[in-house]
Amino acid sequence: MKNKLNSILPPVVLVLIYFLIQLLLSKKILNPYHIQILMFACVNIMLTVSLNIVNGFTGQFCIGHAGFMSLGAYGSAIITTMLFGGMKMDPNLRIPVFLLSLLVGGILAAIVGFLIGLPTLKIKGDYLAIVTLAFGEIVRSTLRLIEPIGAARGMIGIPKITNLAWMFFFVMITLYITRNFVYSRYGRASIAIRDNEIAADAMGINTTRYKVIAFVFAAFIAGVAGGLYAHLMTFIQPDSFSFVKSNELLVYLYAGGSGSITGSVLGALVLTIIPEALRFLGNLTNWRIVIYAVILVLIMLYKPSGLFGGKEISFLRINRDSFRKPFNKFNDPKLADKQNS
Amino acid sequence: MAILEVKNLSIEFGGLKAVEDFNLSLEKGELIAIIGPNGAGKTTIFNMLTGIYPPSNGTIHLDGENLLGRKPFQFAQAGIARTFQNIRLFSNASVIDNVKMANTADSNENFFESILRTPGMVEKERQLDEHALELLSLFGLEGQADTIAKNLPYGAQRRLEIVRALMLNPKVLLLDEPVAGMITTELDEMAQLVKELREKHGQTIILIEHHMNFVMPIVDRIIVLNFGKTISEGTPAEIQKDPRVIEAYLGGGFHGNA
Repeated sequence: MKNKLNSILPPVVLVLIYFLIQLLLSKKILNPYHIQILMFACVNIMLTVSLNIVNGFTGQFCIGHAGFMSLGAYGSAIITTMLFGGMKMDPNLRIPVFLLSLLVGGILAAIVGFLIGLPTLKIKGDYLAIVTLAFGEIVRSTLRLIEPIGAARGMIGIPKITNLAWMFFFVMITLYITRNFVYSRYGRASIAIRDNEIAADAMGINTTRYKVIAFVFAAFIAGVAGGLYAHLMTFIQPDSFSFVKSNELLVYLYAGGSGSITGSVLGALVLTIIPEALRFLGNLTNWRIVIYAVILVLIMLYKPSGLFGGKEISFLRINRDSFRKPFNKFNDPKLADKQNS
Repeated sequence: MAILEVKNLSIEFGGLKAVEDFNLSLEKGELIAIIGPNGAGKTTIFNMLTGIYPPSNGTIHLDGENLLGRKPFQFAQAGIARTFQNIRLFSNASVIDNVKMANTADSNENFFESILRTPGMVEKERQLDEHALELLSLFGLEGQADTIAKNLPYGAQRRLEIVRALMLNPKVLLLDEPVAGMITTELDEMAQLVKELREKHGQTIILIEHHMNFVMPIVDRIIVLNFGKTISEGTPAEIQKDPRVIEAYLGGGFHGNA
């Protein structure tokens, strides 16, 4: 019963939050600017959660995650601007084409992730960090050179389709599949590799294969997040996806607590909102980035494992009880007692 | 036919012959020990038998299948599982997850089933859980299934490593100093467990150990190494009498404490 509740509650809570926001919006307590910030936070949540799969759960170190985001953003934006720009589109096709473009963006990022991951993830150590750093810059510099998509000026006129409802929907899906990933053999293999690669190898885990799977999965989610971002901003340029963006994601991840989905959500949400919230400082506005940095330093000093290091709220956890048949417990009361204690 | 057939296994590290012409023919259900002073090459042999070090010479056949040239994870999948001298658990994962992690290669649910958590996938997880709990209960760890591995007491961590290796359903189990650092009572307990594994479950086992009073009563055969060479081989009684062994390893006299 409790587990049933656990699986229904999160979407219900999210829908309630959505309606609460709409209510606050109609009462003019929130304004469209707030909603914009919230949607950015949602994009960042998706990116941070996906980065967490590679850095937090698999123990690799990817520092070019914005590269995947940009591939997804450009991939999906090219499709929608091409289809919506030239001809008159049936309005009913707007949403399916949008969703399809997100999928294509995600797949594009995943394919590139596979091509980058396969040669580099075989090697142990910090090589992945260097390669992903270079990868992010290569993507950015290449996009700056392609004239048909606006080169360094960027792409304009992308249809604005992403709204809060879509953002919530995709965050929800991301959290759901990421949680399921972590609690499957794929997630277990990733965690085994993170905790002790030699032992993982000795236990028959094809470490390269599972690292690549985690990497491609993360790249896909980042690509979709990029697509959502493009259709939220309606304008993208290569420099929005520079190392600075990847760096921000790393900050969200480690401040929130790597290896915890809850931590990624909170890290991205709080740290996206704080710099904006600090704008009330008026004359002292220039100080807000300093305050932001001080907050980060304090988190790292007093909670080096991040706000939620290794912990999860129950929605994002799967207890073994949820799939154990009850008769087991009755068969062996001693066992059941011990497990309940 | 022997389940594990090793011929002329040798390895050199830059001119140093760490192991020279190691031969072993292991029958199904046998329990043998490899002993020898520190640096004799015992763990090096385990590393070759699990594919971590590629030998410079020699052959390894498991159940008639040549394993040379494969990667360590393929050695494990073929049926050689091991524990480590210095414990190597997945320390931030729970006890049961540690065991389930060793089953990754056997589970066949695909990626999309996993991220969508289909009923079929959940059913497989449940079966896997039951199997893991069963193995844990053999070693008295079922009550700690949800404990994080690094929080287990030392002796329990050693036992968990063995359970994890058993999850691979190995044809040959390699135990690298399973009682290192244990106190006498734990040592007796472990001897009992290893004996049971062999007697009740027919597990074929190779042990590396320094504690002679742990090894002598339970093994069928002992191979003694010194400086990478096999200097003696035989039953525990024969080994204890062999003057070469006494000279090389047991020193002036054997008093049961290594």
